[in-house]
Amino acid sequence: MQLEFCGICKQFGARPVLRDISLKVPEFQSLAIVGPSGGGKTTLLRTIAGLEKPDSGRLRIGQDWLAFTEQALLAHRRSIGTVFQGYNLFPHLTALENVMLPLVKVHGVARGQARDTADALFKRFQLLAHAHQRPAELSGGQQQRVAIVRAIAIEPRFLIFDEPTSALDPEMTAEVLDCIAELRAEGRPLIIVTHNMGFAREVSDRCLFIAEGQILEEGRSAELFSAPQHPLMVNFLAKVLRY
Amino acid sequence: MLMQKRGQPVTLAAQLLSWCLVGLLMAAVFSFAFSQLKYGWNWAAIWEYRQKFINGWLVTVAISAAALLLSLLIGLLTALAQRSSVLPLRYLAVLYVEAVRGTPLLVQILIFFYVVASAFGLNNRYVAGALTLSLFAGAYLSEMIRAGIESIRGSQRESARAIGLTQLQTYRYVIYPQVVRQLIPPLTGQFASIIKDSSLLSIIAVGEFTLNAQEVNAFTYSTLESYLPLAVGYLLLTLPISLVSRILERRFHFAT
Amino acid sequence: MQFNRRALLNTFIATLASTSAAFAAEPAKPLIVGMELAYPPFEMTDTSGKPTGFSVDLATDLARSLGRPLVIQNTSFDGLIPALKTGKIDLVISSMTATEERAKSINFSDRYFSSGLCLLLKKASTAKGIADLNQAGVKVAVKKGTTGHIYAMSQLKNAQVLVFDKESAAVLEVSQAKADAFIYDQMSNYRNWQRNQETTRTLLEPFQKESWAIGISKDNSALKDQVNQFIKSYRTSGGFDKLGDRYLKEMNVEFKRLGYSFFL
Repeated sequence: MQLEFCGICKQFGARPVLRDISLKVPEFQSLAIVGPSGGGKTTLLRTIAGLEKPDSGRLRIGQDWLAFTEQALLAHRRSIGTVFQGYNLFPHLTALENVMLPLVKVHGVARGQARDTADALFKRFQLLAHAHQRPAELSGGQQQRVAIVRAIAIEPRFLIFDEPTSALDPEMTAEVLDCIAELRAEGRPLIIVTHNMGFAREVSDRCLFIAEGQILEEGRSAELFSAPQHPLMVNFLAKVLRY
Repeated sequence: MLMQKRGQPVTLAAQLLSWCLVGLLMAAVFSFAFSQLKYGWNWAAIWEYRQKFINGWLVTVAISAAALLLSLLIGLLTALAQRSSVLPLRYLAVLYVEAVRGTPLLVQILIFFYVVASAFGLNNRYVAGALTLSLFAGAYLSEMIRAGIESIRGSQRESARAIGLTQLQTYRYVIYPQVVRQLIPPLTGQFASIIKDSSLLSIIAVGEFTLNAQEVNAFTYSTLESYLPLAVGYLLLTLPISLVSRILERRFHFAT
Repeated sequence: MQFNRRALLNTFIATLASTSAAFAAEPAKPLIVGMELAYPPFEMTDTSGKPTGFSVDLATDLARSLGRPLVIQNTSFDGLIPALKTGKIDLVISSMTATEERAKSINFSDRYFSSGLCLLLKKASTAKGIADLNQAGVKVAVKKGTTGHIYAMSQLKNAQVLVFDKESAAVLEVSQAKADAFIYDQMSNYRNWQRNQETTRTLLEPFQKESWAIGISKDNSALKDQVNQFIKSYRTSGGFDKLGDRYLKEMNVEFKRLGYSFFL
């Protein structure tokens, strides 16, 4: 998958969050975005997801430049799968209904077919027993895995994960990361923001380090994590990997 | 045997026995109270006027039903208006809600019928009465609906956006289903209120249940024999609503 | 000698004082009279809220003759008979017409006033008498529990009867042309017309003559006899004439001019 930023700027009120980001990322299958809190990684990710419109600049994902009209953004959002840190699922629907909702109402899939798709995915990820439970009855890890199923059920162009395990305890973190690793192994393109450096290194081809609104380092994950160049990244890794 | 142990379900026997005890207690209290009255009961007199009771009850049902439906619509529109980005619309909605909630229903009935309705040529007092009730309940409902909508966390709207739902679809599949479930208890409370408040329409000579019972009392001088059926008649309407509400609440109960 | 006489006098006075005190110590049971203070000039309140009017003065004089303190209980008209039946009040003195139907529930004293039902009409009404109102599409206002209400329910089967709690509400409906007519007594209809001359007209000739009496509970025949006794003596002593002069003089003059009259 290809990604190119051209002068992307974003400001929230008086605070600049993305400062003139211009970078052409070489072809990758999975990309990790890391950096300190408040550095702009979530905003960058949301821009790629079509949830945030930059004040200026252009963005290319794959072959096409993304038009920042409401209509184009809606179409873009419908073509990708996003998993947030939490509160992905709607509490009044069962796991099954949550997965079927975008299939039936957004993509016009027939109910029967949607049902089959959902069941197959649940089976694959050992969630079949929970299909008729509501999110409140599921553990955090199960909720995130259902959210992942919902994201991949629509056959997205690529997947986006925004700190998918930050709210989970270690045991549930492992089950979700296993899930993502499996998707990666299947060849699905994915972009992931995570605090978990070990996982980032493990699961991504390339990595971006963003701090203070700018992409300070970009490269192959193996090289980046073992030999970071930029002092801020060196500091950051040192702090994060201490424990 | 009559106590519920925490966390254990209540047996049918315990329920029946407890209700029987409560029933006996009420019967004892009322028999005592009535035996203290030196009152000549005259049920035959009001049996003659039973059609008046029935007619009044039907009028109450009709007006309450119409008012409930209309007030739901008014409440919904007002709640949306209060969240609208068109400022005059928003302010109009706020003014309406504050005015209606801040004045007594009796005053609203009188002003609406003798001032507003006359100005617009609406002379049918039954329609005017139902409209007044709808506007009254609508204001309270709009606040409930608005609170319900606002209680749906922003994160759900984000999630809906991310999976590609339009604004309209978000309202239809995410927000309203939840708001409706949340609204069931206060909504049924409001419906019961409408039924009871409709008795105030007697002030503009709407021939509803209470006025008819009062008329029978005026002819037959049988106060208790007129007013007891009145209470029972209202209970016949409000108890089923209460029951349905409890059932629905239990069915839709889920944690958020 | 002086000392003894003095002592005797003191003892005499002391005995007298104590016996009269003994009599005074037993208080007379108050006479509770129910009326609706919304019917000038018979039952009304003055600007300070004190009950005043024809019936109030009548009640005061009656209570005095019975040697009992008077308590006036302001009750809505349709609540008077139930209050009498349940013993909450002793008498009803509220310009109440003695009808056969009511006499089934309570006793009435001898009649003390004659009145009649007549009409207050909306200005645009072309009705010439009560019969003209017995048609579909006609709306007749009445006050709940009055003889006007009873008349309308039994005799005006084709008209729509609007029942109101208060006289003022019924008059408002007629003056706003929401009702065609209000059935009430002559004095009130006259006064209401005076206040609403642009929006109403009247037919003051009574189509049903009525007499007022004092209501007494069926259990209390002793009180009934006392009241009848009072009414007889009050009439002969000119008490009713005095009340008429005090409260009804102006209306009497006006009615005489118009050719009507009412009798005490």
